Amino acid sequence: MSELLDHLLATPLLAIALTLAAYFAGARLFRLVGAPSWCPPILVAALLLAGVLALTGIDYADYREGAGWLMLLLGPATVALGLPLYQQMAHIRDLWRPLLVCLPIASAMAALYAVAIAWLLGASPEVMASLAPKSVTAPIAIGITEQLGGSVALMMGGLLLTGVAAIGFVDLVARGLGIRDQRLLGLALGINGHALGTVRAFEIGPTAGAFASLGMSLTGILTALLLPLAWRLPGLAG
Amino acid sequence: MPVLRGFLWLLGFLLLGDALVTLTGLPVSAGVAGMLLLTLWLVLRGSVNADIAAAARPLINVLAMLIMPGVVGVFFILDSLSGQWAAILGALVGGTLLSVFTTLWLMRRLIVGEEPGRE
Repeated sequence: MSELLDHLLATPLLAIALTLAAYFAGARLFRLVGAPSWCPPILVAALLLAGVLALTGIDYADYREGAGWLMLLLGPATVALGLPLYQQMAHIRDLWRPLLVCLPIASAMAALYAVAIAWLLGASPEVMASLAPKSVTAPIAIGITEQLGGSVALMMGGLLLTGVAAIGFVDLVARGLGIRDQRLLGLALGINGHALGTVRAFEIGPTAGAFASLGMSLTGILTALLLPLAWRLPGLAG
Repeated sequence: MPVLRGFLWLLGFLLLGDALVTLTGLPVSAGVAGMLLLTLWLVLRGSVNADIAAAARPLINVLAMLIMPGVVGVFFILDSLSGQWAAILGALVGGTLLSVFTTLWLMRRLIVGEEPGRE
């Protein structure tokens, strides 16, 4: 049995098939349980996949090696994000002044709060490097974490939790502050909750969705440009 | 074959981004550089190339699937993170609450004044 498994794992095909199968099964299971808005479908799929790997005794490193072929597509997929960004240009032009002030502060704070709290609670430099890009959309965040020397796996977990938390907190804080403007809700969801927040924003309405994509793309770019530079400053490097 | 032609465009921008990052030593990933180059090119061109759209849309739709191998990894490093859980959870949950509050508060001050009452 284990010889057969080794044989099948010699090419990336098994890892790719497992990933695709878990992706579709996860999406199906997610709909079966009523598509709860607090739970990202990808979490269901990842749990399924982790369960299958544990049951069959496939080593994560072996799986990862094969699935790396799939992740190779993340490069062109990141480039593809330039298309929705271009389509948001009209919004950017309309609101460039408040965005110019607000976005750098908001995206810097998203990283800074997390790193500061982690540092106060005694996290290791590797953990801080993994948590810093927590509000950035995954394909961009992977590149950032690798540059900072963090763990991609921990960063991914942090990303999921951040997305879920951002959806709940935006709802809560917006009610507390009496904010109902779809543009504000969308931006807050996109800046803090990356792709998960953007999906939630499209449920609120198309305007919120468009502003969330805008917030997500611009936060991703700003963080990708500025965080690695900030990390080099003495004191933060740990 | 618009999808394949579009994919070639995306690969071209990715490789261009990679070359730019490598030559200039900018601390950005090749994908982000490629994305910015693509946006810039579309702005200069003033319209969306149909081939690029045909390749970009399906890729963006399966982004969640492409990051799954990385997400699964978190279940296999749980042991090595013992002792840091308070810091990790505090940073993620507390940090997100603080940054959501900062964002909404700041934006209400900056944006609402421009166009009040629009829903």
